[in-house]
Amino acid sequence: MNECVLPDPSGFFEIRFESIGGLGAHAAGQILARAAVLKMNLNGSHFSSYGSEKKGSPVRSYVRLGAADKPIRTSAPIDSPDVIVVFHGALLDQDITIAGMKNSGTLIFNGPADEAHEFLEKIPKGTRVVRIDATNIAIEELSRPNAVLLGTLTATVPFLDGDIVLSTLTEKFAKRNPQAAASNERAFKRGAEEYEVLEGVGKGEGDLPVIRPSPVLGYETAPIGGVIPYAGNTVSNDLSTSRTGWMPLFTAKECIHCGLCATVCPDFCLVWTHEQEGEEVPVVRLKGVDYQYCKGCMRCIETCPTEAMTRVTETPGLADRERVPLYSQGATGA
Amino acid sequence: MATEIHAVLQDQDGGNTAGVASQSTDFLSGNEAAARAARDIGFHVMGYFPITPSTEVAETLSKMQAAGEHEIMMIPADGEHGAAGICYGAALGGGRVLNATSSQGLLYALEQLPVQSSTRVPMVLNVATRAISGPLDIRCDHSDIYFALNTGWIILLAREPQAVYDMNLAAIRIGEHADVRLPVLVAYDGFFTSHQKRRVEVIEDKQALQEFLGTPETPFTALDPRHPVTFGPYMNDPDLINNKKQHSLAMEAARQVIPEVFEELEKLTGRRYPVMDSYHMEDAEVALVLLNSAAETAKEVADRLRGEGKKVGVLSLNMLRPFPTDLIRQALSGVKAIVVGDRADSYGADGGNLSLEVRAAIQVDPDNRTRVLTRIYGLGGKDFDDADAEEFFNEALETAETGEVKEVFAYHGTYAGDPDKHVPHGLPAIEKGEVTRGMATVTENPETGKLNVELKPLWAMAEVPSRIAPGHGACPGCGAFPVLHQVFSVLEGDVVVLFQTGCAMVVTTGYPKTAHRITYIHNLFQNGAATLSGLVEMYHELLRRGELPDSPDITFVMVTGDGGMDIGMGSALGAAHRNHHMMILEYDNQGYMNTGAQLSYSTPLGHRTSTSEVGSKRKGKVTHHKDTPQIFSAAHVPYVFTASEGYPEDLMRKAAKAQWYAKNEGMTYGKILSFCPLNWTTTDDAAESVLQVAIDSCFFPIYEVERGITNITYDPEVLGRRRKITEWLGRMGKTKHLMAEGNEQRLAAIEEEAERRWRRIKAMHEHPEL
Repeated sequence: MNECVLPDPSGFFEIRFESIGGLGAHAAGQILARAAVLKMNLNGSHFSSYGSEKKGSPVRSYVRLGAADKPIRTSAPIDSPDVIVVFHGALLDQDITIAGMKNSGTLIFNGPADEAHEFLEKIPKGTRVVRIDATNIAIEELSRPNAVLLGTLTATVPFLDGDIVLSTLTEKFAKRNPQAAASNERAFKRGAEEYEVLEGVGKGEGDLPVIRPSPVLGYETAPIGGVIPYAGNTVSNDLSTSRTGWMPLFTAKECIHCGLCATVCPDFCLVWTHEQEGEEVPVVRLKGVDYQYCKGCMRCIETCPTEAMTRVTETPGLADRERVPLYSQGATGA
Repeated sequence: MATEIHAVLQDQDGGNTAGVASQSTDFLSGNEAAARAARDIGFHVMGYFPITPSTEVAETLSKMQAAGEHEIMMIPADGEHGAAGICYGAALGGGRVLNATSSQGLLYALEQLPVQSSTRVPMVLNVATRAISGPLDIRCDHSDIYFALNTGWIILLAREPQAVYDMNLAAIRIGEHADVRLPVLVAYDGFFTSHQKRRVEVIEDKQALQEFLGTPETPFTALDPRHPVTFGPYMNDPDLINNKKQHSLAMEAARQVIPEVFEELEKLTGRRYPVMDSYHMEDAEVALVLLNSAAETAKEVADRLRGEGKKVGVLSLNMLRPFPTDLIRQALSGVKAIVVGDRADSYGADGGNLSLEVRAAIQVDPDNRTRVLTRIYGLGGKDFDDADAEEFFNEALETAETGEVKEVFAYHGTYAGDPDKHVPHGLPAIEKGEVTRGMATVTENPETGKLNVELKPLWAMAEVPSRIAPGHGACPGCGAFPVLHQVFSVLEGDVVVLFQTGCAMVVTTGYPKTAHRITYIHNLFQNGAATLSGLVEMYHELLRRGELPDSPDITFVMVTGDGGMDIGMGSALGAAHRNHHMMILEYDNQGYMNTGAQLSYSTPLGHRTSTSEVGSKRKGKVTHHKDTPQIFSAAHVPYVFTASEGYPEDLMRKAAKAQWYAKNEGMTYGKILSFCPLNWTTTDDAAESVLQVAIDSCFFPIYEVERGITNITYDPEVLGRRRKITEWLGRMGKTKHLMAEGNEQRLAAIEEEAERRWRRIKAMHEHPEL
C-alpha cells in the first residue's frame, strides 16, 4: 500500500464536487475516496446530496480524507473545502457553488479556453484556479467529464496518487466494459495534462463565506399543513443547467405548425400563439422555445416532420438570444 | 478510551483487527454494510419492498445475487405490509429472515410487527431511519423508529457503517437466543449512515463467523408435519396478559443476553460495543444524550470543550429496546444538567420518546438532581453540526451553573419566517372557458349506445393552457409529462387530481413550489384511490345538499405510476368495486423509477432493474409483467384502456371517453406506456422509436374494454406492421443483455407470453362475450 501524506496530517483534507445529475460527480467522489481508503492508507468518507434520483438536478458530492488513524465522526456536509471541482460551467454563476472556498484552496472548473469569466473575480486572491475543458475531452474520448476532472484533480493535488485513482477507475469498468475503461484512461490522462492554471483571476479578500440557504417560509409565515396556495409557481424556476451542451434551435420558416412537438415536449417550454388574419379561421402557430424551462431532451427534434427543430451546440448567450418567454415578468409573481 | 464505541486495534497494515477472525478492509455505506453482513450470514429468505433510503440493501444484495455471491431467496413484495407478511411466514419456517425498510414503509408494516414479536419469531429488520409523512420527506430523523418502540422488538442502534455490519451479526445471536426469541430491528440514520461510505472491516474467516452465528434452532416450526403446532390462536383474558408477561420477560432476558453477545462479537472481530456508549462521562458535569450519527458529531465538540477545561460528556445508546434504564441512571447520577436531543417529537408530550424515557429512568433514583432539557432537532434530515452540538452543550452548562432550567422543551433550528419574504405567486387559476374548448367531443349514439369521439387537430390543441406549469424538475425526456399533457389537452372543465407517490409527484411539488395549476392532492401510493374516492363522495354529498353551488362539475383524476398499482392495488380495486365516479391513469414506465429503478410487477421478464440485476447467475427479472388492465377489466368497471404516449390521438380519444364514463357511469382505468430514458437506458430522444416497437411487437397491446366489450384500437397485424420483440429489446440498455448468446430460452419465454396475451386480447376483440 502506498503511503500518501496529507498536507496537514492532524486535520482533514476536504473536497467538494459541484455538479448536476448525470455528469458522474457521485461516481467520481466514490472512486477517489475508495482509492484513498483502500490503496493510499488514508481514512476517508464519501457521500452525495441530491434532490431525488432525477437526472439534471443539482448534485454535491463530498470527499473527506484524514490520516489512517484519525477517526471520522462527523457526517455533516463539507462547508469549507480545500478543493472545489465544478462539473458544469453554468454552475459557476451561482454563489452557492463556490461558497466556503478557501483562500489557500484550489478551484477546478470545467470550461473551454478563452471564455470570459467575470464571476471568477469573486474567488479569493490566493485560491489556485484551474480550468479544464472536460466536456470536449470527454466527447472526443467517448468518456465522461468525471474521468477528465479526476485526472486534473490528481495532477493538481500532489498527495493524491494519480496512478492509484486511475487504476480504481479502471477496475470499475474493466470487467463489464473494457472499451469504456480504455476511453476513461485516455480522458483521465488528458485531464492530468491539458489543464490550465489561470493566474490573477480571483480578486476576493480571504475565504469565501459559507452559505446555508434559509427557507423562504417559516413556521409563522407558512400556510398550515404544508399546503401550497400558489398555483403553478414553478414557472419561476430556471432549468437551464439541465442542458448538457446542446439545445434545440427553432427555425420558423421550416415550421408547418402541426403541433406534434407539443404532444411530446415534457417541459411545456414551447410558445404558441393564436393568430387570426381578417375573416380567416384562426390558426395556432409555434413562436419559439422558452429556454428557461427546456432541459434539452431533443424529443421535439425526434418528432418534428420538417427541419424546424434542429440540435445545436449551446454556445454562451445563445439560449438567451433565442428565447421566447412563455410568461411576461409580471405573470410569475414576486 | 475504554468507553469508545469500539477500540480500533489496527496493525500497521491497516487491515486486520485483533479478533480471532481474519478480516479485510472495505469501503462501504451503511446499506452496503447491511447487505455485506446479510451475504456473510447467508439468510434463507429476504422479503422486501423498496423505500428510500433503505432500498440499497436489496439493490446491493441483488447485484451480489446476480454474481452468484449468495443464495438468499429474495422476494420483492407488493408493499411493506406484504413484505412483513412474507418475512413472518418465512420465519415461522425456522430459517433466517431479513428485511430492510424506512419511514412510511415501517409504518405500513407496523401492524405486523407486534404479531411477529408476540408469537416469538426472530428475524432481522434493518431500518435506515427517515422522517415519516406528511409532507413527504426522504431524509433522516427518528420519527419512524419511535413508532417501533412499542412493537416488542429488540432495537439495536448503529451509528456508522461498521456498526451496521457488526449489529447485524449480533442481531442473529440475540434474537435466536433461547431466552429471548424475539425479532431484532437494527436502526441506522438514513443518508448520514445509510449512504455515507466509510472504512469497514469485514470478516473473511467464514468458519469463525459460522461458529459465532451457530445454527438457527427453534422450539416450534411450521414445517414439521410430524410435530403439528398451532401458531396464533384466539386468546382473550385471562390468558393474553400472561402471554405479554412472557414477552416482557424475554425483553428482560435480552438485557443480559445483549452484552454477552457483544462480548463474543468482540472476541470475533476485536470491536467492542457497550450497550450504552459513554464518552467522557466519568467526571462529566453536563452531557448531551443523542442517538446515532448526531452523537458522533457531539463527541468532536466534547473533545474541544474538554480542551477548554469544561467537564462535558456524550451519552448515547447502542441498544434502544430494551432501554438501558439502570445504566442511564448510573451514568447520570452525578451529572448536573443534560440536553436530550430528540430527532422526533411526541406531540403534546413535552418531549420526544428518548427524553421521556431518560426522565423516567432517573426519577427512580431519589438522590438524582440532574436537570433535563429536551430539544427537538434535525427533523427531516436537517443537519446537526458542530455549532448545534456546541449550542446544546452551552445550554446544559448554563443550566448546571445556575441550577435553573430556562426552557424545558424547545425546537432547535426552526425558522419563524420573515413577513417580507414571499414565495413566487405563480399563475392565476385557469378559467373554465380556457380549458373547455371542445378539443374532444364525445357523443353517445342513442341507438347503439356507443360513444363517438371527435378530435380537433393537434395544432389546435397546442395552445390550450396546460394544467401543469413548466418549471417542474422531471428528468430530460421524461414520458410522464407528455402523457399528462395529452390527457389534459382533451379533459374539459374543472379537474381535481390526486397523485400517488412517484416521479410525477416528487418533481412537481418541491416545496414551496408547485407545478400544478389545479387542485392537487398527494397521498401515499398504498391509499390514493381510497382517498380520492372519499373526496368524490364528499363532493357529491355536498352537491346533493346544495352546499357547493359554485362547483357543479368537477372531474376527479388519480395519477399513479406502475409502482403505485402494486402497493396500491388493494385500494384501487376497492375503489373499482365501489365504482366511484373517478378516473385512474397509470403512467407505466416499467419500474419504481422514483427510487432508482427497482423492479415493479409491471417490469417484464428478463429486464434489468436495480433489484433484478444481471450477472453470471441471474439475468434480470424472473417473473412476467403484471396485466393490470385485465385485473380492472375483471372488476367490471365501465371503461378500461391501454395507450401509449407515442399515439397521442389514440390516447386523447380514450382520455375523453374516460372522462365521459367517469362523469356518467363510474370508475375508469387507463394504463399508458410511458418513456423513461434514464432507466430504460436510452438516449433522451428515443421515445418514439422505442415505444413504436413495444407496440408493433404486440408486447403492449393497445385496446379498450368498454362496458365489458374488448376492442383493439391499434392492430399491428392488420396494418402489416408486426415486428419481433427482439427489435424492441435491442433498443434499450436495460434489455441489451438479452441479445447476447445464451439467452435464447428467456427471449423465447418473453415472446411466448406476449404472444399468448396478445391472442387472448384478439379473441376478446372478436367475441363480445369474452
